[in-house]
Amino acid sequence: MSQPPQPETASIDDETSGPFTNWVDSAIANPKKVYRAMFATVAIFFLFTTLFPLYWLTMIAFSDGSRVSEGVGLLPTGFDPSSFIQIFQQVPFHLYMFNSLVFATLTTIFVLLIASLAGYAFGRLQFRGKRPMMLAVLVISFFPPAAFFIPLFQLFNQQISFLGITPPELYSTPGGVVIPLSAVFLPLAIFILTTFYGQIPDGLEDAARIEGTTRLGALFRVIVPLSAPGVATAGILTFIAVYNEFFFSFLMTGAAAQDWAPIVDGIISYRSQFQVRYDLMAAASIVAVLPVATLVVIAQEKIVSGLTSGALKE
Amino acid sequence: MATESQPSRSKNPIKRGLAWMENLSEEAYAYLLLIPAFLVLAVIAFWPLWRTFKLSLFEDELFGAAKVGDFVGLQNYIDVITNQNELLTRPLIDLTGGTPFFRQALLVTIAFAVISVVFETVIGFGQAYIMAREYRGRRWVRVAIILPWAIPIVIQGMLFYLLFNPSVGFLSGPLQSIGVFGANPLTDSIDAFIITTVADIWKTSAFMALLILAGMQSIDKSLYDVAEVAGASPWQRFRHITLPLILPALLVAMLFRTIDAMRVYGIIEASGAGCGTVPSLSCLVVDTMFGSTQAYASAATVAFITAIIIGVAITVYLVALKFSSGGTHQ
Repeated sequence: MSQPPQPETASIDDETSGPFTNWVDSAIANPKKVYRAMFATVAIFFLFTTLFPLYWLTMIAFSDGSRVSEGVGLLPTGFDPSSFIQIFQQVPFHLYMFNSLVFATLTTIFVLLIASLAGYAFGRLQFRGKRPMMLAVLVISFFPPAAFFIPLFQLFNQQISFLGITPPELYSTPGGVVIPLSAVFLPLAIFILTTFYGQIPDGLEDAARIEGTTRLGALFRVIVPLSAPGVATAGILTFIAVYNEFFFSFLMTGAAAQDWAPIVDGIISYRSQFQVRYDLMAAASIVAVLPVATLVVIAQEKIVSGLTSGALKE
Repeated sequence: MATESQPSRSKNPIKRGLAWMENLSEEAYAYLLLIPAFLVLAVIAFWPLWRTFKLSLFEDELFGAAKVGDFVGLQNYIDVITNQNELLTRPLIDLTGGTPFFRQALLVTIAFAVISVVFETVIGFGQAYIMAREYRGRRWVRVAIILPWAIPIVIQGMLFYLLFNPSVGFLSGPLQSIGVFGANPLTDSIDAFIITTVADIWKTSAFMALLILAGMQSIDKSLYDVAEVAGASPWQRFRHITLPLILPALLVAMLFRTIDAMRVYGIIEASGAGCGTVPSLSCLVVDTMFGSTQAYASAATVAFITAIIIGVAITVYLVALKFSSGGTHQ
């Protein structure tokens, strides 16, 4: 610790030993350096493993569509950037993206709102029947989505009624996708928010209540902002999962963009009976990822410490 | 919401509702907050499940319009578990040479869940650490790590299908020459299983990482300052501060990842491996329900058996969760 930081590769004092030995010597003298090097190595490894398949996907998109089957290496086979235009010419891909964005936005708002109320009750209040009720929420996640599908499909097509009530025809409307997906993603959001809301010290909420904040006000003005990392994470996870969901959003809508079909239908449309346009599918998926990437850039700012040191000091 | 009995100075119904809420007991307030969630879940989840459950108690009627025949009680469940249900779609290749088919699906599902969750937890921890540190360009590193989670399953499947496709991709050649893979990896059960597992780990580690990161960010930073002053090593800080405080978030992440992994279906179909090569329990449900047989009752039975198996696996987590929340709750 007492030695000054040294250059990594060469040492002036010791001319006989190699650069590696020198680095080891200085590392022993300054263990922080080892942690930094380990950190950089691990970071580069993860960046490589997550980004390399995406890089390769981009190379497929830039390849000449008819030559993809010859094999694509680290560079595109042939060069044909027109696939990024063709995807919009063959089908209105922007409309498919719009549909999926609508589903994802509505579901995320709906889920975060309902799960916030439930998460507050489960995380911060004491009441009889709490564990059985939490279990009931969790049990829903145990079932394969197919187990819900047939009754809901019949209900949304007005073939059967629920407790004597027949809802409007929800098939091929945003409601037909948003409502079932809200139920599918609600358990995860409730459990995340229960965990994070439960960790906020009581003192902070009590202080706000003494100053005259209402019960609901305390939830949305004190608990939610202090749990910002948890809320942002639940939001990002739900949004992305709905945006990419393929079971309900695929089966509860028609195949055309006008029938509220999601991105998946758009991507599949490049796969006809006679040929599969991998380059178009790759280009479409890269374009489809852009709104999500933008969202992540914005939302990840919220995943920073909600409990700053000092929040607890009164 | 507004009650007449409650004297209130304001005529505004929202304010009267809020005033009414203030006077509720803690228990009544809790139930009130849970009403929206349970209302949604009742219509969209519990009610369909109840109908599906009833379906599983009837015989399949393959040639009638009704799809279901006589009431047979739990006979469907017995037939599936003892492997006597002839309507379940069978895989092309017999994985384990004579082991009853339902148990093959069970084996594939459990192996997939254990392997993928273990790897995703370890990798998720590593990624969360990378995302938590402060340095220039952290925002972009975070985006890069989360990106795989944003890739639609169809594309994730296509990507790994092409990577391991002997003519398009470049991964199967080297892996074959060192003897890991056979000639056509996606039609070999073991090879295809490895590919789908790797594809799943690639995509969903980010899910783990995000939840672990959120847990890390909720830790009061002053604890680390105290630990540093006290001379704790990074490992000690991890062991005594980070790990216990993120445990609730970590368990929620592992819980839902385990549930999701045990319902694996999408990546198996999308990677081109297909349910015939890598049969999972969800594969059985979907193939039996939407495949050529459309045996709704058998599909409903397998769906409920899947849920019961997941329930058993999850009990372990619930016990752990109970202990950890018992520790942090005041």
